[in-house]
Amino acid sequence: MSFLRTLIPFDIAGGMKLTGRYFGKVFFSANRKKVRTEIKHFTQEYPEVAVRLQPRFRGRLTLLKDEQGEIKCVCCLACEKICPTQVITIEKGKKEGRKMPFPVRYDFEMERCIFCEFCVESCGFDSIILNHQFELAGYNREDFSLGMEGMAQNMFEPSPVGRHSVAED
Amino acid sequence: MEHQLETIGRNMFAIFGVMALCGAAFMVASKSAVHSVLGFLFAMLCVAGCFLSLDAEFLGMAQILVYAGGIVVLFLFVVMLVELSKFKEKGVFQLQTRSAVIAVIVGGVAFLAAFRNLLFGTASPEALVLRPELAQGLAVAQQNAQAVSRGLFSDFLLPFEILSVILLVALVGAVVLAKTERV
Amino acid sequence: MPIQAIPMTLTQTLVMGLLQIVVVLIAVFIMVPLLTFAERKVIGYIQVRLGATRLAGGHVGITGPMNRIMWSMGKVPMLSIVRGLPIFIADALKLITKEDIIPAKADRGVFTLAPIISVMAAFGVFAAVAYYPGVMFYLPKGFPIVGGLPFQGFITDVNVGLLFILGLASVGVYGIVLGAWASNSKYPLLGGLRSAAQIVSYEVPLTLSLLVPVLLAGSLNFKEMSILLATGKGLHPLAIIPLFIGFFVYLTCGFAETNRVPFDLPEAETELVAGFHTEYSGMKFGFFYLAEYANMIVVSALATAFFLGGHYLLPFGLQRFIPETVPFLGQPSFIFFLGKVCFILFVFLWVRATLPRYRYDQLMDVAWKYLLPLTLVNLFIAALIRFAF
Repeated sequence: MSFLRTLIPFDIAGGMKLTGRYFGKVFFSANRKKVRTEIKHFTQEYPEVAVRLQPRFRGRLTLLKDEQGEIKCVCCLACEKICPTQVITIEKGKKEGRKMPFPVRYDFEMERCIFCEFCVESCGFDSIILNHQFELAGYNREDFSLGMEGMAQNMFEPSPVGRHSVAED
Repeated sequence: MEHQLETIGRNMFAIFGVMALCGAAFMVASKSAVHSVLGFLFAMLCVAGCFLSLDAEFLGMAQILVYAGGIVVLFLFVVMLVELSKFKEKGVFQLQTRSAVIAVIVGGVAFLAAFRNLLFGTASPEALVLRPELAQGLAVAQQNAQAVSRGLFSDFLLPFEILSVILLVALVGAVVLAKTERV
Repeated sequence: MPIQAIPMTLTQTLVMGLLQIVVVLIAVFIMVPLLTFAERKVIGYIQVRLGATRLAGGHVGITGPMNRIMWSMGKVPMLSIVRGLPIFIADALKLITKEDIIPAKADRGVFTLAPIISVMAAFGVFAAVAYYPGVMFYLPKGFPIVGGLPFQGFITDVNVGLLFILGLASVGVYGIVLGAWASNSKYPLLGGLRSAAQIVSYEVPLTLSLLVPVLLAGSLNFKEMSILLATGKGLHPLAIIPLFIGFFVYLTCGFAETNRVPFDLPEAETELVAGFHTEYSGMKFGFFYLAEYANMIVVSALATAFFLGGHYLLPFGLQRFIPETVPFLGQPSFIFFLGKVCFILFVFLWVRATLPRYRYDQLMDVAWKYLLPLTLVNLFIAALIRFAF
């Protein structure tokens, strides 16, 4: 009986059926459909198509602004204190028509950042976030010193190297 | 062009024969056992070519299939496992040169004496069939394979079976030898 | 179809033969790289990947502008299936231009001879394969020496074509074994020994499974066999049973003979690095590669011709139900042959992506304990059908 079972390859047929089904599915979806709909394969065609990242992905640090376009940061220095590699330096200041303190300088030394997201967790005002930018290469050391608007590299513009990261949200 | 080609075609047997001899000479002369097997393989393929040049396609292909494809592979298999460096100093492979030469000379003389008439007398098709009056099948057959099978399984059935018994004897002898060595 | 013997002088025969050999060689040299590309793609799709896409699909290069436009329209670029196609040119260039290393302790002569034997055996087999059982086209009158003569779909019409194929295929094992021995290294030697044992073992059921069509057709001629088995003239309808079983046995043994997954023990990466070609590099390795893929094509062509109906539409002699008067489907065509060959090549890749490798004892079990009895029983059934009905 086991002789016959070995001889008639039901298991092989089952395996072939499974792989054949995947072949058909991927073959037709990969070559017929449009890019963003009904993709069955896991390969991401990265430079041409924007990458689908997990929502928890930790990219570059960004300062958020509220509806009026004001920076939400109130200079509580919680992020600066908790940062294990001490890449954040904040200088408190005042601004006309604003009760809360206003960061005159918010320096972020990305070359030492370990992307641990402690700063975001410690922030009580939801004013910073690690966005989904991952193309963070630079040509000079200075490219990694990020700051407020007005500096050569600031946190509100996308990284100069990559143009394909998902920067929104 | 045409003329030369015809000449080559007529002498195909001689060409293959000389090549087979070269292969055999290489096999005897080479120091390495694997090179010997290669020479043997070449000689076997050339013998197959000889058969082809005599219009015996089936025999030629059987030659390739059985000798080149089966037997020489087994030779190679064994030779590859033998550690050659051990035997090189002892000169096992070149030990029996004198007796081999004598055997070849005696064999050649005997062969020539036995087949003198066939080689230099009558035509080759009759030489292939040892007793033409027995071989009814050859006349009936249209194809080479049919001729061989009719020869083997109807006209010369008894010699064929006896030959296979002789092979069986050799097999049993090999088993017996191997067994006694182990005990 | 009746084929008249065309009177040709020896020179014309020679030139015609050379011409056909060149055509077949070019066809194989095109098919093998395409097959490697297909292998990347098919296995990629089965593993839910895309396979090779980068060589003609990027933003730069010759096809760059077209691709940019297509991407900006939100569509996968045209020629999407073949975006990685130039990879076969890259593969070939890499193999040709790589440094050719011969290990210091290797046996140089045999080391060089081994890939040559492999390739010669693999390509020699094509001499007896009939791609089309008749005249494909007539050469133009102005052609030198052979003008106006028919170009046939086979190189030679050997009376014992099947034996020729089997014999040359069995010579192919020397390439592997000698290459393994000449490398003078332990992994190749182990791979070569395994390969010799495996191929000699699987040759038995392979030959026996091919005896079924021989028995049913009563001939050893490739062309005659393929025509007779396809059209089913003079065959009992029950002959489909041994042919069907024989097809699967033959295909299994074909996998083993070509050292493909699941029988690729000679090159088992996990324990033998790369098996018999561990020490090979450059075009010598390329020759082994070429021989393997050429062998795959031969196995596919044989399975097609003897079991799947060859140049006719339906397999296993079912073609008899289509009358010959039907315009396209009832006639033999090269397209059917090519299509079936491609399908079996696809099955090769499909199986490679599905099955894991056999263990060595399982391998021998499959050959001697299962396939051999099965083929013997199958042969008996075929003989019964041939002579009892």
